[in-house]
Amino acid sequence: MKHMLKLFLLLPLFWAVPAHAIDVMDVVKKANHMSYYQANDGRAKVNMRIIDAQGRTRVREFIILRRDDDDTDTGQRFYVYFNKPADVKKMVFMVIKNMDRGDDRWLYLPALDLVKRIAASDERTSFVGSNFYYEDVSGRGINEDTHTLVKEDDNYYIIKSIPKDPQAVEFASYKSWIHKSTFLPIKTEYYDAAGEKLRSYSALKVDMVDGYPTVTASSMEDHKTGGKTLMNYSAVKYNVGLPENIFTERYLRKAPRKYLR
Amino acid sequence: MIHISETATRRPKVFLWASGLFSLIMIMLVALPSIWPTTFPMLHAIQIDTDPENMLAADEPARVFHNAQKKVFSLYDMVVVGVVNEENPHGVFNKKSLANIYALTEFAKKIEWQDKQGKTQGVISVDLMAPSTVDNIEPGGPGVVKFEWLMNRPPASDAEALSILKKAQNLPLLNGTIVSEDGKAVALYIPITSKNISYNVVEKLKGKIAEFDGNDKYYITGLPVAQDTFGVEMFVQMAISAPMAMILIFLLMWYFFKKASLVVSPMIVAMVSVISTMGLLIVTGNTVHIMSSMIPIFIMPIAVLDAIHILSDFYDKYPRYKDRCKTIQHVMKELSAPMLYTTLTTAVGFASLALTPIPPVQTFGIFVSIGVLLAWFFTITLVPAYILLMPEESFANFGMVKDDKGQTTLLTRILHGLGRVTYSGAKLIMLAVFILIGVAWVGVNKIVINDNPVKWFAPDHEIRIADRALNERFAGTYMAYLMLEGPAESDDLGAYAKAMADDMRAQNSAPLTTMAPELAILAQQAKDKKQLVNLLIKKMEQRMETVSDEEWDSWDNALTWAGEYMNRGEIFKDPEVLNYMSRLQAYLQDTGLVGKSNSLSDVVRTVHRELFMGKPEAYRIPDSRAAVAETLITYQNSHRPQDLWHFVTPDYRKTNMWLQLKSGDNRDMSALIEKVDQFFSENPAPDGISYDWFGLTYINVIWQDKMVSGMAEAFIGSFIIVLIMMVFLFRSLWWGIMAMVPLTFTIGMIYGIIGLIGKDYDMPVAVLSSLSLGLAVDYAIHFLARSREMRKKFTNWKDTSEAVFGEPARAIARNIIVVGIGFMPLLAAPLVPYKTVGVFISAILVLAGIATLTILPALIRLFEGLLFKKNIERM
Repeated sequence: MKHMLKLFLLLPLFWAVPAHAIDVMDVVKKANHMSYYQANDGRAKVNMRIIDAQGRTRVREFIILRRDDDDTDTGQRFYVYFNKPADVKKMVFMVIKNMDRGDDRWLYLPALDLVKRIAASDERTSFVGSNFYYEDVSGRGINEDTHTLVKEDDNYYIIKSIPKDPQAVEFASYKSWIHKSTFLPIKTEYYDAAGEKLRSYSALKVDMVDGYPTVTASSMEDHKTGGKTLMNYSAVKYNVGLPENIFTERYLRKAPRKYLR
Repeated sequence: MIHISETATRRPKVFLWASGLFSLIMIMLVALPSIWPTTFPMLHAIQIDTDPENMLAADEPARVFHNAQKKVFSLYDMVVVGVVNEENPHGVFNKKSLANIYALTEFAKKIEWQDKQGKTQGVISVDLMAPSTVDNIEPGGPGVVKFEWLMNRPPASDAEALSILKKAQNLPLLNGTIVSEDGKAVALYIPITSKNISYNVVEKLKGKIAEFDGNDKYYITGLPVAQDTFGVEMFVQMAISAPMAMILIFLLMWYFFKKASLVVSPMIVAMVSVISTMGLLIVTGNTVHIMSSMIPIFIMPIAVLDAIHILSDFYDKYPRYKDRCKTIQHVMKELSAPMLYTTLTTAVGFASLALTPIPPVQTFGIFVSIGVLLAWFFTITLVPAYILLMPEESFANFGMVKDDKGQTTLLTRILHGLGRVTYSGAKLIMLAVFILIGVAWVGVNKIVINDNPVKWFAPDHEIRIADRALNERFAGTYMAYLMLEGPAESDDLGAYAKAMADDMRAQNSAPLTTMAPELAILAQQAKDKKQLVNLLIKKMEQRMETVSDEEWDSWDNALTWAGEYMNRGEIFKDPEVLNYMSRLQAYLQDTGLVGKSNSLSDVVRTVHRELFMGKPEAYRIPDSRAAVAETLITYQNSHRPQDLWHFVTPDYRKTNMWLQLKSGDNRDMSALIEKVDQFFSENPAPDGISYDWFGLTYINVIWQDKMVSGMAEAFIGSFIIVLIMMVFLFRSLWWGIMAMVPLTFTIGMIYGIIGLIGKDYDMPVAVLSSLSLGLAVDYAIHFLARSREMRKKFTNWKDTSEAVFGEPARAIARNIIVVGIGFMPLLAAPLVPYKTVGVFISAILVLAGIATLTILPALIRLFEGLLFKKNIERM
């Protein structure tokens, strides 16, 4: 099915919309929606390759299920079920995204027979050893930073974001290149106080899935460690009809096979 | 060779100018590329090398392995900064001290610059270990596990500071490493891009530390710091000791020969020799190493030795001829043979160092040897040339004066007395020699071979103080790494595919049985085992898309089985292996040689404990591979997942134990190696695991071993060569053996003393034997050559001895005093190895001189018949 989808190449110049004054928060909101909230729910099979500075590669493979609480682009649930490596198969990571407080995160470790809630203290830790952080996977609240439109060219809104609580994060600022027609962030670069690049995210491939422009390949590079992580999405589906109850503690131990096949 | 001297006396100015010009060219060849490297890229600039690692050749297996493992586990050399507060009851765990530590960490993270080649040098900020850069993992309430920075920001209160301490003490990887065992001090481990920038980094840190007020004390140490600081202080040594030696030698000679203008000539010889040798060293692209930095101080006293013989003889003989030219001709005729031989023996002694397997020692030996030959050449040309350039009138009152009453100098009288004692008390002297040899033998057997680059600094040096302060409080600042590795897997893919197919059929699983025949076909396409199983998994996944829900579970299980089959090679996830490692660590701790060991097993046990509410009994390795894998993936959910790869490779086939040692003494490291060998032989490792060492502390042991055995070979080699030369020189086996007696006795005595006083047999001591061999034999050559020569004029040894203890003994005594004192300025060096060399070289040369003037005449007295048989027959 995927092959039949029209591949949307980056930078389709003829799409360029005429420049006009646009509110920066509008762009940010739209980009947030396009990145995390398209359709009511969705699922994808993700192949993650973590490549360190020496070129050594580790592979993770998981199914990610996502369900929005409502249409307001706020509350949301994620269910991440690991298939590979084989020794962590059936491990589950679950997120309940809250707007008023830190997200609730759960980890199910089948071999240890443990369900653990991960304290909300810090969401900028590695996601299962990759160069993506938890917050990259579940999304950073748009009100946590002050955004300014620093540049606009034919294809991108370039937005600079400065954290409101600099103590809580490792970066001093980040810049996002938001594609004008899709509103997908195509590139994000995180900087330290000296303006040196810490990490950079790139959308490597965008496909149209069920009518939704979807990033199906992306990378996150850590300029300090020299490592990078590639994510490839396959079997992407929207509006699957995921019931709310599978995003509960009970389903951590008993994975909802129907949605994971 | 007398021709050269004669030529020089005929054209004195040419020779002096030529050598001056030669020195100037040498200086230019070194100075130009050092000052303007880009303008003179074809020339070699002066290059300083302080890295003891370079004591091993670049292709030395231990060193190659060391560097390869450092890369595999992303390990860097570290600067260790310890912070201590002795006034606050909680040490540095107070608001203010931790704020400073936080600020210092932030500052250290940013130390970075571009070197001349455009490479980034400085601190590896991602691997820096400090309270503010490491993670804390702890239960955050029932059912909750918490990951957080241990010290995200400076604490807001003293109470908060104490809670940081409590958290850190609870984590085995941090306790004793980042926080001291007494819970009062903090240490930062600052990895740097390369060892030779550590001095730079330390200077920057010190600058920042100077900004802090308060009563915290900062100590900075670590092997790289010691090594790099050594390089800087090496120059101090060269700048102080070499000129001091020069001045001392000048003053001594002035005292002996009473004529300042005349003693300038040996000084010129010394200068020209040193400049030429060092020039050649640098021009040929050799680095100035700890060893080669000692070249000037070695050449200088040796260079003046022959000149002293010439001047001494000239001084004694001048009154007889009252003519410079005639006197010098006479002197050169008499001395040319012994001078050539002493020069050759000295050169051979040093050149023998080329036989050691230590590159810097080889360079040292070869260039001192070259320097000795150059000094000889300059001596026999420039000294006569210089004398001839002086106006005859200036020699009016020159020379050995002896009035009618026979009143002579103190030295002359002492030597005369000594001569008589050696004649009458020969047997007593030999008895004393045998007793001393017995004592020395006891001492030699007590020798302890040991070294430690940090101890190359004087005990009151700040590095030594820091070393003591930190190793008292923390698990240790000396790093050694013990690598464990699974056996290489066979790459017979066909056999593997067959075995796996059999295993699949044995699983009693319908999907596996169905898929088993596929393996033989897939084995044709796959490159390795991993790819083979991956191909199988892909096939199974394709099949799974079409199976019914009822069948799906069994397929899913089959898939899990295949994935786990592939991961069997990941031996360091095996609980049995991890438990073995824990036992090894406990054993290491019990040896008392290891301050602390950190390993993958600690990571697994700690995470496991924190997942189970921090209960002490949960500090263990879980029972299954999958459970281990889960603790490891949990660990990777932290801020620093890459830390795991310091302990294990991502394929889990190789692991690294980080051992912190409180002592960097080679003796202790060697003992540890032995203990670990013992453990592995008594407790065979599971899965055919093998082990090996790396780390600077280990590398030091390797080069020490090479040094000790290499030096023994070099010494035996040069001993034999010098003996043959002696037999050849004296055309007699007995005389040849006699010539070796004083130096053999001396070296035996010196090593006996080293053993008796408990001085470690270290790098400088190891070099001493070869160093002194070539020098110590000189006295014997002069003494025996002159004795034999003079014996011809007398009927018996009794009368000969009187004459020998005249001028020849005086020349030897003057030489003993000059070189004995000439090496003393090494004592002014701030670095222990130079002091050691200074003390012992002086001691050896003085002792060898005394041995020559006592044992040799005593032996001649006792074996007169044997030694002068021919003479007697002839008479």
